[in-house]
Amino acid sequence: MMKYLVILLSDQSTSFCYYNSSDNIEENKLMPLETLRNAIKYAFMEDLFIQFVLPPFSLPKEYEDIITSTKASIIAPSSTSYKADVMVVDGFLELNNIEILKDVSYVLRTSKKDFFEHYEEITRRIVELSRLNIVLTDIEDFKEDDFILYKQILDEFACCVKDITLSGETIQLNILTDRLVENEMNNCNAGCKTITLAPDGQFYICPAFYYAKEQPVGNLENGLMIKNSHLYKLEYAPLCRECDAYQCKRCVYLNKRLTREVNTPSKEQCVVSHIERNASSFLLLSIREHIIFMPKTEIKEISYLDPFDNIKNK
Amino acid sequence: MDLIKKSLEEWQGGIAKSITFIVTKDCQLACKYCYLVGKNAKERMSWDVAKKAIDYILSHEDEFKEESVVWDFIGGEPFLEIDLIDKICDYLKMEMFRLNHHWFNSYRFSFSTNGLNYHCEEVQNFIKKNINHLSIGITIDGTKQKHDLNRVYKGNDERGSYDDVVRNIPLWLEQFPNSSTKVTISSDDIPYIKESVVHLMDLGIHEVNINCVFEDVWKENDDKLFEQQLLELADHIIDNDLYKENTCSFFTEFIGKPLDKETDNQNWCGAGKMLSIDAAGNFYPCTRFAQYSLRDKDAWIIGNIHTGINKNLLRPFLTLDRCTQSTQECIDCEIASGCAWCQGENYDAADTSTVYQRSTAICKMHKARVRANNYYWNKLYNKLSNLNAL
Repeated sequence: MMKYLVILLSDQSTSFCYYNSSDNIEENKLMPLETLRNAIKYAFMEDLFIQFVLPPFSLPKEYEDIITSTKASIIAPSSTSYKADVMVVDGFLELNNIEILKDVSYVLRTSKKDFFEHYEEITRRIVELSRLNIVLTDIEDFKEDDFILYKQILDEFACCVKDITLSGETIQLNILTDRLVENEMNNCNAGCKTITLAPDGQFYICPAFYYAKEQPVGNLENGLMIKNSHLYKLEYAPLCRECDAYQCKRCVYLNKRLTREVNTPSKEQCVVSHIERNASSFLLLSIREHIIFMPKTEIKEISYLDPFDNIKNK
Repeated sequence: MDLIKKSLEEWQGGIAKSITFIVTKDCQLACKYCYLVGKNAKERMSWDVAKKAIDYILSHEDEFKEESVVWDFIGGEPFLEIDLIDKICDYLKMEMFRLNHHWFNSYRFSFSTNGLNYHCEEVQNFIKKNINHLSIGITIDGTKQKHDLNRVYKGNDERGSYDDVVRNIPLWLEQFPNSSTKVTISSDDIPYIKESVVHLMDLGIHEVNINCVFEDVWKENDDKLFEQQLLELADHIIDNDLYKENTCSFFTEFIGKPLDKETDNQNWCGAGKMLSIDAAGNFYPCTRFAQYSLRDKDAWIIGNIHTGINKNLLRPFLTLDRCTQSTQECIDCEIASGCAWCQGENYDAADTSTVYQRSTAICKMHKARVRANNYYWNKLYNKLSNLNAL
C-alpha cells in the first residue's frame, strides 16, 4: 500500500539517492503550478504523505506559498537556504563548508573514491550531526579491494560511534546504526510504499526511473498503473526476503540497472549491505563490553557476505 | 551405445553443463510453429568467434564446475555448418586434453536437426569420427500429413519435408538405436496426434517426446480435441501392447499432483544454468533469449567472448523459484506437477521486461493432458492386474 508521494518540483530537483539528477537534464523544467496543486490534492485523497524535492535555485513565490502551506517533508540541496527536513550534501567539499543545523537530517552523496580518501571528515564532524545518511553513488563499481577497505572504514566508524554512545550522546549514521534498530526489512520501498511524481505530471517508480527515461507508471488523471507491481514487494524478492541486512536500501533502480530485474539485487549491493550489517554487529558488541545496551537486539554471526551464495550452493 | 546410455543417465541427473553454439540462424525449412522469429542466412558463426568462445569457457574452469558438459549445436539447422562444427569439435577435444580439463572424456556433442542433410558425406564422416560422444535428435512430427502441415520448405510453394526426412530415419536408427524424437504440437496439429505418435513408433522410434508449444496459440475447444486425441492414443498403445517397448512423454506417471510451496518450489526451466553463444559472440542464459527467438522483447545478453559473463545478469535466473513467478491459481493448483514453462516464452509474453511472470497459456492443455494421463495409467494398471490374476 502506498504511503508516500515524492514530488520532484523541477528537473533539477536534487538527487538524494544513488542516481544523478543532472545526467539527463535537457532543460530546467519546473512542475506546472496546476500539476503541483493536483498532486497535493491526489496525495490528500490517497492519504499519502508528501515529500517535496527542491532544486538548487529559488522557486517562484507561488510555489513557495504552496509548499510552506502544505504538511510535508522537504528535501533540499544544502547549497540553498530552504528550511528543509533533509539537506543533501554533494561531496566532501560541500560537507566541509556547510553549517550543520540541529534537527535536520543530512544526506552525503559521494563516490567511493572520495569516500575512501576523505572519510575521516565524517568522523571529525559526526558529533555535530543528529543524523547522517551516506549514499555511495557508484556502488556498482565496488571491487574486492574496495569491500575490504569499506569494512575497515566502517569498523573505524564503529569505534567512533561507540565512544559517542558511551559519552551519553546519540548519533544516527545510516550505514552503521540503522541495523541496530530494525527488526525487519526497512528498505526504500519504491514502487511499493513510495511513488514519485515528476515535473511532466507522470508517476515513476522513483526519481531515478524518471531521469533514466524509463516508462511512467501512471498519471494524476488516471492514477497508478504499475504492471507486475507485486515484484516491488519484499515477498517477491527471493534473495531479499530471506535476508537480515535490514538496513539495506534494496534499491530497485540499481537492481534493474545491474541485474535487469527490480526484485534482484546485484552482488555489489548485497556485499556492501552485509559489510554494513556486520559492522553494526561489531558496534553492538563493542558497546556491550562497557554497558548494557539494546539487550533485545541480536545480529547473528554469518559466514557469507552475499546471500546469493547460499541459494547457489543449495 | 552402452557408454552413451550410461552417460545420458548422468547428464539427466543434472550434473552436466549445457553449452549451445548457435552456429547459424539459417534453415532449409520455414516451420509454421517455429519460435525463431528472426531466422536469416546472414548470421553464421565464424571460426574466430567459436574459438574465442571455447578459449573463454575452457580457461574459466572454476566458473564451470559441472562434472560433465553437453556441447550443443543448434540453428536454424546446425548441419548446414558441418565444416565449422567439425572444426569446433576437433578443437574442443584437443584443448580439453591439452588443458587436462575435468570435462575431457566427460563430454557429449548434441544436435537437434531436421534430418535433411543427415545422409550427406560430411555429416556421416563427422558421425563416424565422434560416434561415442554423440547424440542426435531428428525432428519428425508424425505422419506425412501431420509433418507436412507445419514442416515446410522455405519459399512460396510450402512444400512439405516429410519424404526427405523419413528416408534418413533407418540410417539414423541404425547408428543410434535408442534415439528419441521430439514432436511439437500446435493448435492445427491436434487432430493428428494419435496417428502421428503411432506412426513414429511404427518407424522404430521407441521414445516419442512430445509437448505443446508454450505460446498463446490455443483456440476454443482445443483442450477437448486434445484430450480426445490422447484418450484414443492411450487406447491404441494399451490395446496393442505398444507400452511394452515404447514410451510417449504425454503419459508420465507422476504428473497431475499438487506441489508443495516449500519442498517443490524449484524452477522448472534450466535457463541461466545453460549457456548459449551466437554468431556475434554474445552469451545468453539460453538460446530462447537471443534476439532471433524473441517476438516482443530485447535480447537478454549476459556477456560476450571478449568481456566474459556478467554474473549479475545471471542472478535473476539462478534465484528464480516456482512460486515467486507463478499466479496464486498456479500455486494452489491441484494438478500442478508436470505443468511446464519456458523461461524465454515467459519473458517474451510478460507485461514488463521480466522473467518473473509465468505465462499460463498452456493451462487448459495441461489439464486435458492430466485427465488423459490418469486414464492411461488407470487403464494400464487395470489391464496388468487382470493379466496377473489369470
